[in-house]
Amino acid sequence: MSTMQKSETGPGGSPPVAKPEARGPGILTNIAWTVVPYVASVVLAFFLGGLLIQLMGYNAVDALRAVLTSSFDTSFGMVETLHKWVPIVLCAYAFAIPLATGKFNIGAEGQMLLGATGGAAVGITFSDLPMVVLLPATLVAGVLAGALWAGIAALLLVRFRVNEILSTVLLNFVSFKLIDWVATRVWPDAGAGHPATTPVGDGARLPLLGSAPAMHSGVLLVLALAIFIAVAMRFTPTGFEMRAVGDNLRASMVNGVRTSRLAGAGLVIGGGLGGLAGAIDVAGVHGRMLEGMQSNFLILGIIVGLMARGSMLALPVVAFGIAVLEYGAGTMQLVSAVPVEMVLVIEALILLLLLLSDLVRDRLRSAR
Amino acid sequence: MSEFLVLVVPMWVVFTLAAQGTILSGRTGVFNVTQEGVMALGASVGFLVSYKMGSNLVGLLIAFLVGALVGLVLAYMTTQLRLDQFVVGLALFFATTGAAGLLYRQVIGVTMTPPRVDTLPKFEIPLLGDLPLIGDALFVQDYVFYFAVILSLVMFWFLQHTSAGLDFRSVGENPKAADSLGINVTWARTWSTVVGTGLVAVGGAYIPLPFTGIYTDGMIAGRGWLVIALAFLGGWRPLYVVAGAAFFAAMDVLGQKAQVLGLGIPHQFIEMLPFVATLLVMVFALRWARQPAHLGMNYDRESRLVG
Repeated sequence: MSTMQKSETGPGGSPPVAKPEARGPGILTNIAWTVVPYVASVVLAFFLGGLLIQLMGYNAVDALRAVLTSSFDTSFGMVETLHKWVPIVLCAYAFAIPLATGKFNIGAEGQMLLGATGGAAVGITFSDLPMVVLLPATLVAGVLAGALWAGIAALLLVRFRVNEILSTVLLNFVSFKLIDWVATRVWPDAGAGHPATTPVGDGARLPLLGSAPAMHSGVLLVLALAIFIAVAMRFTPTGFEMRAVGDNLRASMVNGVRTSRLAGAGLVIGGGLGGLAGAIDVAGVHGRMLEGMQSNFLILGIIVGLMARGSMLALPVVAFGIAVLEYGAGTMQLVSAVPVEMVLVIEALILLLLLLSDLVRDRLRSAR
Repeated sequence: MSEFLVLVVPMWVVFTLAAQGTILSGRTGVFNVTQEGVMALGASVGFLVSYKMGSNLVGLLIAFLVGALVGLVLAYMTTQLRLDQFVVGLALFFATTGAAGLLYRQVIGVTMTPPRVDTLPKFEIPLLGDLPLIGDALFVQDYVFYFAVILSLVMFWFLQHTSAGLDFRSVGENPKAADSLGINVTWARTWSTVVGTGLVAVGGAYIPLPFTGIYTDGMIAGRGWLVIALAFLGGWRPLYVVAGAAFFAAMDVLGQKAQVLGLGIPHQFIEMLPFVATLLVMVFALRWARQPAHLGMNYDRESRLVG
């Protein structure tokens, strides 16, 4: 039985945790009903992708092996994958947290770029300060800038009921122009050969861990944040209210939850996390704000957010899987000459098949 | 001024074609968000076919068919399988964006100088073409422009003055009531989405044809999302969309020409205009812009909930 508005297969759908009232089948059976279709979708998507690669005249086995294994072949690959994982997982939160309240934030790349600009602004202006002060200030500035940018969409939504999908998307394009101005007029680095700001001070750089292929400490920061978010969404009143609003807007309203304020708050929190992604990339990877640093993290964040099916626990894991694919895409293009866009097509296929698998599962379950 | 209008009109065609396609499916309640990707795919496919076959018209037609195919997938997954329209739309947006770049890379590869196709020839309407100011812009145009004008009129006539159009609109307003009167909801939604998405693809395919004749990745540059905004602002009405498209096209050209205008403000702030202006207009749009009551909602005839 699906409702008119959003069926159970919807984006904020039931978390893949066994519901307490489902006494009949055991927890294990329930997990199996979640995991098996999920794995089947992923495998089928890769099979179809491989078929497409073969039809295009490349060697599918070599190409897919490059996509799947190159992250694990070298420690350099692993570090690069983790560096990609950080913005992907943060952009996925930027999408998934507003989604928990039933709102779509398609503006993670704008929020990320604004966060990068905020972080770079602090890191450049106060470049002489010691690290204990400057590094936290850089990251906080990034969070605030991202939150502020999403705050515009939140304000338009709560005060003027402007559709948040459109406002967040349109703000992305405004942000592209804004950072172009910052990178070419405000703090331009003429020697960079590409629109970019001058480097931030040494105190604004995240400390590196390990030797040779060194990993920046932002990875650990985000790992801690991921645990915090999973706990907060599960066990705090605000987290409960957010999930309640997403599951049943009317029931929450009747029970006195301030739904529109909560939706606005979800967008602002999401924007803050998107901003943090930008600030960490400035402080950890690039050392400056540069054009194009948002890469395709918006799309990847949405894919991860949708693939996690509303589970904040599953989200970082799914994000790691996508980071592996994204790092492998580059290797695939080098090894077998398959264009990198192929990986985006496979990711979209996983998403579509995942949606379809819900239908198949429901049908099989009710047929038993 | 006349030169400015000559630049605006082709952009008007792009916005009009894509937005008419969007509102056609919107009136039956299917909220299409694949524009940004479908326009890119249309541009890529249209370009490649024109390049290989040497005919722009064939390119535009194949682009329409490819767009229609995406529309069919969207319609099937939302009407028959009742999957969330927005989520399916996003997934198709990703897939089509990837496919657009993939196809171009597969067929053309990486080249030093991008290949070009012929731009469209322009036809002059006698006498009217000599009018000052608007003559060049409105009456010396390629056939796609005249097609867009006729399409807009046909859409208006179809939706407002035919019984099939009334059926379409009733499906978007209240599918349950429409269903009870014997109107086939699935049928209406499928057709409108197939044709509508095809038109969106043609809008994308037209972008390289008036001036440059080359395809580049990212050439849609947010216009697909602006098209959705245009549909909202036009209240999902064909003739309002025609007027709105002129505004969007003017903003677009202003943004493109920002660097050579030299107005004393950094050109980036003028390039923001299309997006900022759209956001501002949307704040006030609430007063006039209404939308189909069941836009974005799937219909399940077995559901007991009353829409």
